[in-house]
Amino acid sequence: MDTVGSRRRLRGRAAVLAVVAVVALLASACGAGGRPSGEEGGAQPGLTPQSVKVGAHFPLTGVASPGYSDIPTGTKAYFDYVNAHGGVHGRQIEYVFRDDAYNPTQTSQVVNELVLQDQVFAMLGGLGTPTHSAVLDYLNSEGVPDLFVSSGSLLWDQPERNPQTFGWQPDYEIEAKIIGKYVAENFPQAKVGLFLQDDDLGRDAEIGGRRFLDRQIVAAERYTPGNTDVAPQIAALQAAGADFVIGFNVPSYTALSQLQSLRLNYDPQWAYSNIGSDPALVGSLLARFSEGAVTDAGLLDGVITTEYLPSVEAAGDPWTQLFTRVWQEHGTDAELTNFRIYGMAEAYAFVQALQAAGPDPTREGLVAAVEQSGAQMEGPWLAPYRYSEQSHAGISGVKISRIVGAGTEDLTPVQVTDNGDAPITPHPGPASTPPANGIPVPPTG
Amino acid sequence: MQQFLNVTLTGLSQGAIYAAFALALVLIWRSTRIVNFAQGSMGMFTTYLALIVIEGTGSYWLGLVVALGAGLLLGAAIERLIIRRVEGGPELSAIIVTLGLFVAIQALAAILFGATFRSFPAPFDLRGMMVGGVNVALTPFSVFVIGSVVLVMAALVALFRFTDVGLRMRAAAFDQEVSRLLGVPVGPLLTLGWALAAVVGSLAGLLIAGGSLVYPAYMDPIIVYGFVAAVLGGLDSPGGAVVGGLAMGLALSYVSGYVGSELVAMAALAILVAVLLVRPHGLFARTAARRV
Repeated sequence: MDTVGSRRRLRGRAAVLAVVAVVALLASACGAGGRPSGEEGGAQPGLTPQSVKVGAHFPLTGVASPGYSDIPTGTKAYFDYVNAHGGVHGRQIEYVFRDDAYNPTQTSQVVNELVLQDQVFAMLGGLGTPTHSAVLDYLNSEGVPDLFVSSGSLLWDQPERNPQTFGWQPDYEIEAKIIGKYVAENFPQAKVGLFLQDDDLGRDAEIGGRRFLDRQIVAAERYTPGNTDVAPQIAALQAAGADFVIGFNVPSYTALSQLQSLRLNYDPQWAYSNIGSDPALVGSLLARFSEGAVTDAGLLDGVITTEYLPSVEAAGDPWTQLFTRVWQEHGTDAELTNFRIYGMAEAYAFVQALQAAGPDPTREGLVAAVEQSGAQMEGPWLAPYRYSEQSHAGISGVKISRIVGAGTEDLTPVQVTDNGDAPITPHPGPASTPPANGIPVPPTG
Repeated sequence: MQQFLNVTLTGLSQGAIYAAFALALVLIWRSTRIVNFAQGSMGMFTTYLALIVIEGTGSYWLGLVVALGAGLLLGAAIERLIIRRVEGGPELSAIIVTLGLFVAIQALAAILFGATFRSFPAPFDLRGMMVGGVNVALTPFSVFVIGSVVLVMAALVALFRFTDVGLRMRAAAFDQEVSRLLGVPVGPLLTLGWALAAVVGSLAGLLIAGGSLVYPAYMDPIIVYGFVAAVLGGLDSPGGAVVGGLAMGLALSYVSGYVGSELVAMAALAILVAVLLVRPHGLFARTAARRV
């Protein structure tokens, strides 16, 4: 029995080795064939006189896909719109996005394909902290511009170490600072509980939040992404007597935490960070329960959140009107969502960066253009970027708002700040308006 | 105290689901001596079918009936068409086949139903009940969960103890050759065993989905915890599976509530190893028959 078993095991191991060897051979063969021959003669990978190729990785399937899989469709629609209007410096933007299922192993694989096989000129908006971390070193060592990562982690703002990588949305630390200050000023008596995703998201947010709320925080509970049972965390928040809970979590955990609170008859004032609070998405996850026995369809009504882009519900906003038009002309049959607006806003910023890089862009030139003119770029974002040679941090602020039905109402004007102990100040100046044709105006000179 | 009560009640209703799942494993083990790793995927698949029916008709109960019916057919079909071909061969092949089915069904579900989160309705209120001003973390839905598991267990015990079919099923499982000689139709009974187990597995899938989110891999933790629960109870005893399930539910809920939710999977492993070391045949196994 034993010898048979071990022989079988040996045979099994040999088979595994053989498979590994074959895969390795295939991979190296592909690599050799697809290596960019770009450097010679100043030719840039992914760039021709007629086109420029841009790549991205998104979770199109799996745990993180609800909502997030909409983002690249928005980006694509805006690029198609720009292409229909002549492209950037006469070049059509070719946008290639691949599915990584929010799995870092798969991210490495698809980014490899994007860089070696598709030969993209630059990456745009790769989504997720764990996922994008896996390709950070690779993209920087290959010299691929890695613009506007779709995640609020602080990892993207390390210009010394990762000169190619730029953040985009307000990072979790400054968002938590602004929420923290708001709560400390408006709910000074509240006992605050934190509901945190147990990774960078929760860690950065806790640092920011504690700057203003340290005295008021009675509990900080963490959940492990992937484990959908949040009963113990919510029970602990309730046991600690928290009457104001701030969640830094992804949308599905907003739904899970709300359901669990129902179960426990726990009814604190909730606040969720921007990424976890999309009313349409969380609403669609929770809506079905109203057919069962959770009678209150507007489970998120009254929840406090933040915004840094125009909402799809703000029909009067000129940017929302522009994006609605773009989506009607170049989108799919599905509805325009906040996630698609997010994708379009990233595309808008990318078009500006590409314009700033001049008629003969290089990879280095694109990075330099964002560093030099990024802070002046105007667009749908409510607060300016913090880009410079010293900083690769994205949008500098948010406004606090309250969810009402499917939309939101403002609680504060836009406030801006920076990491660490930088003060929080109101953002001066009126909101920007889009140019008439919906395409960014190239910088002069 | 309030937290202890909450953690305990949450553990009990989770435990009831682990128990149902363990019951399904025990049923198949009793009838064919196979640990069916595909049980979770099968339950997930029928739960998606229920979701489609519920979305189409708006009736939870119709969805429930469809899921259980589909489970019955799926279990029978898998036994008759796939497992039958590897039965009687090396024990390991059947188990590997169920592992293969586990992956294949999950992939199929992702293709057919999509891989995103979807909410699954519950037929009863999801709000905790208030008893004399104190909130208890027991919802009408979890009462329904516990009630259905108890009912199913009672029905199975009755089937095996008091009916002819049950006796024959036990005989067929115990010794196929002798049973055949005695005129027991072994083949159909094995199919029936799988079909019944798949019904119970489908029920577990439905119960865990109710009032929560489903996606193709949502049964994965249940497979692990249900398996530990079944081993805890001795793999051979329906009563043991239920006790094992409840014990797992409580233990994991306490670990999660008082130690840390990241340690839940580790705790399950620790329990499994401890049980295998101390009582390799489980807490409730009567005999050490059929050692292989």
